Amino acid sequence: MPRASVFAKSLRDQRWQVLGFGLALAIMSSTAVFLWPSVRDTLQNFVLPDAVKAFLGTDLSIATPAGYLSARYFGWVDILLIVYAVLQGTGAIAGEESNGTMDLLLAQPIARRAVIVQKTAAAVVGSAAIIAIGWLGFALAIPFIGIEVSLSDAAIASANMLPITLLFFALSLWSGAVAPSRAVAAGMVIGLATAAYFVSTLANGVDSLRNLRYATPFYYYGAGEPLVYGIAWWHVGLLLGIAAMFVVLTVRTFEARDISTGGAADVDVASMLRRIFAGGA
Amino acid sequence: MGEAAIEFAGVVKDYGQTRALAGIDLTVERGQIFGFLGPNGAGKTTAIRVLLDLIRPNAGSARVLGMDCHRETIDVRKRVGYLPGDLRMYEGMRGDQFLDFIDAFRPERRDPAYRHSLIERLGLDSAKHIRALSKGNRQKLGFIQALMHRPELLILDEPTSGLDPLVQEEVARILEEVVADGRTVFFSSHVLPEVERLSHSVAIIRAGRIVAVEDVARLKGRSVHVVQVTFAAPPPVGLFALPGVQELHRDGNTVRVQASDSIDAVIKAIARYEIVDLRTEQPNLEDVFLAFYSEHGGGDVESGQEQQHAAS
Repeated sequence: MPRASVFAKSLRDQRWQVLGFGLALAIMSSTAVFLWPSVRDTLQNFVLPDAVKAFLGTDLSIATPAGYLSARYFGWVDILLIVYAVLQGTGAIAGEESNGTMDLLLAQPIARRAVIVQKTAAAVVGSAAIIAIGWLGFALAIPFIGIEVSLSDAAIASANMLPITLLFFALSLWSGAVAPSRAVAAGMVIGLATAAYFVSTLANGVDSLRNLRYATPFYYYGAGEPLVYGIAWWHVGLLLGIAAMFVVLTVRTFEARDISTGGAADVDVASMLRRIFAGGA
Repeated sequence: MGEAAIEFAGVVKDYGQTRALAGIDLTVERGQIFGFLGPNGAGKTTAIRVLLDLIRPNAGSARVLGMDCHRETIDVRKRVGYLPGDLRMYEGMRGDQFLDFIDAFRPERRDPAYRHSLIERLGLDSAKHIRALSKGNRQKLGFIQALMHRPELLILDEPTSGLDPLVQEEVARILEEVVADGRTVFFSSHVLPEVERLSHSVAIIRAGRIVAVEDVARLKGRSVHVVQVTFAAPPPVGLFALPGVQELHRDGNTVRVQASDSIDAVIKAIARYEIVDLRTEQPNLEDVFLAFYSEHGGGDVESGQEQQHAAS
């Protein structure tokens, strides 16, 4: 299948990144499990302030294995995965244009949508690989430690990190298609992610704002909750659905517009809006 | 297969308030090296990127090998080799890896022997990482990736920039072979002598418009001569007020004139005077174009000359 060469190249380009992020996750997951016996008893008597609970983003008790792993692992490594997603997503289009390599790539007989699809497929594989390497940390630690979490539950909760990662990848991809440069695209998504995280924390901590949490993707992610409740399929569907929508929007925007040759691109709000609406119309 | 290699029909391209292409009409027949000449910023790269569907014109259309550049772009790109003017390649790849990557898009056209011969002839160390290559070696690599699948049309944007003269000669030979093979080369340049040396036909683009399309051999055949005459005494002022003759410069006893038609009138005019020195210069494209601009563009030749120098 020679036409998959963009997919193959994207995988090759990100191999060290995937390994690095994966090892970081594996260190986090194994450390969390290994520390459980020494902190378990302390946590039983530990009453978390509401503000800290809000920060962890789940109602699970930190004294339970699920709540503990949520706080120590699932509740915040999604941030690392989002960093990966932003790197890959903004690199896919905006990065190649900023580098000036898009011209030569698109001078080859490959459709623009195929470039997007292949790069998206590479990001799916990359994200899954990072998450899988992170799970290896559980596989390494759980057999040695008396923690009431099975490897398959850990695998399910790990797999549950994929949709939110792909959502931010797709958002970054789309930003890269509408923004004049990779830096602007990354800024847009990081700004949005930070705002969503802030709103999520606020909504979890302040009762009167509690309904706001439905407006952030972190609620639908749910951190370590799949360890207890299993996968919330409609949450997964929602996150993946929005991700797919952004990929489709990216294809439409990118197919409709001119390719930039890199170099200095000014932030031109009018032309950005034109790109956004050209893709969405 | 009778279609032209390239056909621009009323192609207009605006960037905001700036009109990059103001309605380009141009047909490039197959089997030749066609030079696309113009100063920087004239619209050469914009026109070329329309052919590859990298940018979309605001009006008009372009066809390559009989196919619409936008609707049939994948088929166009299968049969076209492209060297961008601002050549950027994946820095982390080795030269060979990069060529493999490009080769994979046209598996049916892969020709390792030809690719290897190009690498040998241009003297490229293709095992090196692209980031370690000099400007000239990058240009060689860019040239090889465009050529190696034997495209029916080669589109080269400023192909010889950064290449040393020996390599430029080899490139010229390779392009002649491409044409001998019945294929077509379309290349842009802002350097007149290069176009004169390489191409069979030339189009001149200025400020987004095609101002001339000529056969290079015929252009050179148009007997434009620049004659520099040194008289023994200052010649009369109106001496060169002859049809087809223009006085370019006068400095005491020395006068430079340009005869855009025949040198005969100049010789007859000066024959009555005592001549100390007489020099004529071979017509080159530059002089031909200066003559062209003075005929069609208005204005005097000297200012035309300045413009031409500013352009090159």
